[in-house]
Amino acid sequence: MNGRRSIVPLRLGEVVSSGGRLGLAIVLALTVSAGLILAAGANPIEAYAALLKGSIGSVAALANTGVRAAPLLLGGFAVGLAFKSGLWNIGGEGQIYLGATAATAVGIIPLPVPAWLHLLLAVMAGFAGGALWALIPGYLRAYRGTSEVVTTLMLNYVAGYLVSWLLHEPSPLAEKGAFFPMSPLILPSARLPILVKGTSLHAGLILAVVLGVVLHFVLRYTPFGFRTRLVGGNPEAARYAGVGVARQIFLVLLVCGGLGGLAGAGEVLGLKLRLFDYFVGGVGYEGLAVALMTKGNPLGIMLAGAFFGCLKAGASKMQIVTGIESSMALVIQGLTVLFVIAIGFGERMRITGAEMKEQVTQEDQADGD
Amino acid sequence: MEISLNFISDLLRATVRSAAPLMLVSIGGVYTERVGISNIGMEGMMLAGALASIAASFFTGNVVIAGICAMTVGGLLAVVHAYLTVTRRANHEVSGAVINLIALGVTNLLHARLFPTQRTRVAMYPVLGPPELRNVPFLGPVIFSQPVIVWIALTLPMVATWILYRTSWGLNIRAVGEHPHAVATAGLSVSRLKYTGVILCGLFAGLGGSALAMAELGYFAPNMTAGRGFIVLAAIVVGKWNPMWAAAACLLFGAADALQLRFQALGSAIPYQFPVMAPYLLTIAALAGLVGRTVPPKTLGKAYDPEAI
Repeated sequence: MNGRRSIVPLRLGEVVSSGGRLGLAIVLALTVSAGLILAAGANPIEAYAALLKGSIGSVAALANTGVRAAPLLLGGFAVGLAFKSGLWNIGGEGQIYLGATAATAVGIIPLPVPAWLHLLLAVMAGFAGGALWALIPGYLRAYRGTSEVVTTLMLNYVAGYLVSWLLHEPSPLAEKGAFFPMSPLILPSARLPILVKGTSLHAGLILAVVLGVVLHFVLRYTPFGFRTRLVGGNPEAARYAGVGVARQIFLVLLVCGGLGGLAGAGEVLGLKLRLFDYFVGGVGYEGLAVALMTKGNPLGIMLAGAFFGCLKAGASKMQIVTGIESSMALVIQGLTVLFVIAIGFGERMRITGAEMKEQVTQEDQADGD
Repeated sequence: MEISLNFISDLLRATVRSAAPLMLVSIGGVYTERVGISNIGMEGMMLAGALASIAASFFTGNVVIAGICAMTVGGLLAVVHAYLTVTRRANHEVSGAVINLIALGVTNLLHARLFPTQRTRVAMYPVLGPPELRNVPFLGPVIFSQPVIVWIALTLPMVATWILYRTSWGLNIRAVGEHPHAVATAGLSVSRLKYTGVILCGLFAGLGGSALAMAELGYFAPNMTAGRGFIVLAAIVVGKWNPMWAAAACLLFGAADALQLRFQALGSAIPYQFPVMAPYLLTIAALAGLVGRTVPPKTLGKAYDPEAI
C-alpha cells in the first residue's frame, strides 16, 4: 500500500532508553526555545542562566521550585495512574478544585480535635472531594462504556463555576464582605507545616513524593497494581484472567480523582490558605503533560514534575533579568512534550491492535527484570 | 427581572454574537471528529487564530487578510496535530494538550512583544448592508446589526452539512471515521482524508478565533478563548456530529452565556453560574444516553493501522 511507508513509526527513539529520550526532548525543546528567546531580542545563555538561578540557585529558589512542583506531581499521578489502566483523566483541573473545596470546608471549621487530626481530616476531605468528582465519569466509563475523555473535561468547567458559586455569599464557604470571592482563612490547626523557615515550601511536597514512591510500589508489586496494568495492557486478557474490569476501571478513576483532589488540598492547606476563584490556573492540564511524557510512571512523573517546577519557578527570574515573559515556561513545557512524542517514544500511546499487543508483550518482558 | 420584547431581542443578539465564534469552530470540529481524529487542540488553534487576526489587522488594516492569517495559523497548528496523530499515531489527547500549551505560551509571549500597550485596538469585521435594515424591529438588532463574520457563521454550518451528507467527498469523510479499512479497500487514501479533516478543523478554529477577537472587541487578551474550544467539543457531542445541529447547540450555549451575563447584571435570584454550567452537564447527560442516543464516530480517538483487521 502506498501509505504504508509513512505510517511505519520511526525507530530511532527505541534505540535510546526512555530516560535518554526525555533528556533529548528537553535538550531539543531548550534549543528551539533558545531560538525564540534570541528572536525576542535576548541572550539565550543569559536567559537560561537566570532560569537556573531562579529555580535551583539558592535555598529560596529551590523552595520555590518545590512549591511549584508539588501540585504537578499529584496532578501528574492523577493522570498517570489512569494512563496505566488505559484511561484518560483530563479532569485533573476539576478534581483539584473539588479537592481544594472539600479541604477548605474542613479546614475552616474549628474542630475539637488535636491539630494533626484536623490537618489529616482536611487532607482526607481533599482526597474524597476529588474522588467524588471522578465518580460520575468513572461510573459512566466503567459500567456504561461512555468515554471518560469528554466527561472529565466537561466536569472541569462545572467545577470551576461550582466553586465560584460556593465563594459568593450567602454560601457558608464565602468570606463575609470580601472584596474578591474567597473563603475564610484556613485555621492554623489545619495548615500544612512549612518545611524551610522563611520560604513557602510546605509539607505538600513531602506528601507528593511519598505518594509517588507508594504508587510506584503499588503498581509494581501489589495485586491492585497488577490488575491496573493488566486492564490497561489488555482488557481481554484481564477479563479472561478473572479481573473485574469494570470494577477496576471504576476504582482506578476514583483513586485518580482523589490524587487530583490531594493536589488541590495541598495548594489551599499549604500555600494559598484560602480558596479563591480560578486559583488552579491550568495545573490540571500541566499534570497531563507531566504524566504523558513519562508514560505514567510515578518515578518519572516526579522527575518531569521537578523539571516543570524548575521552569515555572525560574521563569519569573528570567523575566526580571532578560525581559522575556514568564510564559516562555509554557512554551518550553509544550515543546518538551512535543519532542517526546515526535522522537518516537510512546509505544504505549499508539493505540493500535497488533502493534499494541506486541509492544505490551515486549514491555512486560522488560518489566520482568 | 422584566421580560420585554426588548429584553428578548437583546438577549438573542447577544446569543448570536457569543455563539458565532463557537459555530465556526464547531464546523471544523465536526469534520475532524468525523474522520476519527479527536482534537482538544482546537482551543489553542482558536487562541492562535485570534492573535494572528489581531496582529494582521494591526499591520495591514485589512480584515480579509486578517481572517486569512487566522485560518493559516490555525491550519498550520492542525498540520502538526495531523502529523502527530495520523502519521505518528500519537495519542490525540496528548497532541491536543501539547498544542494548547504551546499556543497559550506563544500567544502570551508574542502579544506582550507586539502590543506592549496591551489592548491596542485594530480594524474589526464590519457590519454590512444598508443601515435602515438595522432599525427593523427584532431582526435589526439580532441579525442586521451583526458584523459580517456572524452572517458567515450562521450560513456555513448549512453548507458544511450539505457537503457532509450530499456529496461523495462528504461520504468519504463520514466513512473514514466509521470504517477506515473499507475506505482503504475502496482505493482511497485514509491518511489524506484524515489530514484533510484535521486541517479543516484548524482553518475553522483559526477563523473562529478571529471572530472572537474582531467581531466585537478589536483587541487580543491573553487566554481570551478561556475554554471556548472545549465548549465546542461539547456542542459537537450534543449536536450528534452534524454541523447544523452542532451549530444549534452552539447557539444554545451562547444563550447560556448571554443569560449568565444578564443574571449577573440584574442580580437574579438564580445564581449566574448555573446557566453556564448547564451546557457541560447537558453534554454529559447526552453522552450518558439520558437525552436520546448519542453515538460518536466509531474510530474516534483511535489510531488507524492499515495492517490490523
